[in-house]
Amino acid sequence: MLNDLSFAFQLFEGMEKDNLSYIYRGLFTQGVTDKIISLTETNLANFGESSKMKKRVFSIMVEGLQNITRHQDVLSQDEKSGIFVIQQKKNRYYITTGNPIAKDHIPKLTGQLDKINSLEKEELKKFYKSVLNDNMMSNKGGAGLGLIEMARKSGNKLTYDFKKIDDEFSYFYLYTEISVSQNTEDKDVIYSLTNIKQLHNILNKENVLLIFNGLLNQDNLINLLSIIEEHMAHALLLKKRVFNIMVEMLQNIVKHGDSFETDKGNSGIFFINKKGNSYFLNSGNYINNKKVDNLKLKIEHVNSLDDKKLNKFYNDRLFNFQIDSSKEAGLGLIELRLKSKNKIVYNFYKINDKFSFFTIRTCIEYNA
Amino acid sequence: MNDLIIEATEETPKIFFKQDKNEFCISERSLPENAVEFYTPIFEWLEKYKNKPNSETIFDFKLDYFNTASAKQITKLLLLLEGIEKSNKVKIRWFFKKGDLDMKSSGLRYDKLIDINFELIEY
Repeated sequence: MLNDLSFAFQLFEGMEKDNLSYIYRGLFTQGVTDKIISLTETNLANFGESSKMKKRVFSIMVEGLQNITRHQDVLSQDEKSGIFVIQQKKNRYYITTGNPIAKDHIPKLTGQLDKINSLEKEELKKFYKSVLNDNMMSNKGGAGLGLIEMARKSGNKLTYDFKKIDDEFSYFYLYTEISVSQNTEDKDVIYSLTNIKQLHNILNKENVLLIFNGLLNQDNLINLLSIIEEHMAHALLLKKRVFNIMVEMLQNIVKHGDSFETDKGNSGIFFINKKGNSYFLNSGNYINNKKVDNLKLKIEHVNSLDDKKLNKFYNDRLFNFQIDSSKEAGLGLIELRLKSKNKIVYNFYKINDKFSFFTIRTCIEYNA
Repeated sequence: MNDLIIEATEETPKIFFKQDKNEFCISERSLPENAVEFYTPIFEWLEKYKNKPNSETIFDFKLDYFNTASAKQITKLLLLLEGIEKSNKVKIRWFFKKGDLDMKSSGLRYDKLIDINFELIEY
């Protein structure tokens, strides 16, 4: 599927275009969860959310992430990775977590969730206190306190589902809506959760580690970089290559992308997936149709050069101070080719008379 | 001349210039969106320093990463130092972490392109 670059656009559409959303899939270390939290803080601030909303999103996110880290000891293989999804649509936030759990735990968990969902606000508060007391007495820990907290903070019912992985494990999905007002229609909730389950399946197959969809600016760039840094903590050279290419790709969007429907910045999508011995970095953004031909020529030119000519071109550009502004150094595309050691794969998808959706993919091999 | 000290951020390097101690160092990472803007005060400082440089300037680069926008500013910086070398001694020390082939090859590139006393140091 990923051989077809339209995947990026499909993903972009599937993630509801300009609405903020991002997904992390993989091992959740303390470092990774901290960075996901920073990324969310940055975006909540960007959107100018009220402090009430910020606190709610924040606490539900923390509980959800802890839920994943607490239970991920059971997983060993890539395809059993946990997933964290946050979405923003029309003043509401949606947090979904998915993690493998042992089949034996399902009945108890279902019982806890149904109990929580049956309670109204005041009852929930009492229930929280009694569970907290029991906990302190028995020193058992857990016992669904996190779940009660999520239900209380969201002010909505918790939606959940399970999906069988094998005879021992299932995925446990928990979907929480955070809004200042009441729940949306139930059928929307079910639709969204089904959508995420399907998406998780695709992401598992394609081994996608991170998807970010939203406004691409320097703050988000820095946060995304630090998530990847944490994720790849052990592979120095590879990490730096991925890091370098990510910087160039994302800064390209920040500087040269065009905004569509919004004046807040350039929206786009960025995702990383890993196949065999390669990392694929993919980005997609809107671009004014007038720029298409010129950009195409530039990429084709860079793609046509061999290593030696590429280096010469880089050196020439390094000393070309005609191109030296806050916007452009003229080195980005050459760097993508040099560092990835592969040709740049790209596509322009015409959306209307004014805009196209420009996607680009670079591939970094482990042993390169 | 006053020291120029700028603390590092997640996107900009640490700048540590002390003429009286003869210490000049750029370290950490450099990936600002607007590199021209970040490097402007650094050039201004060095332009002044150029008028009364130390008899030997030892200038250290100890960077972890830099983006292409910064690559061009580093070129400009090295050219400025090359200018100082016409009248006074200048030595560039380009540090790279053991195994960091990318930072090493960036050093080799500058060494080849800029006519200045240039030393690559693995650490």
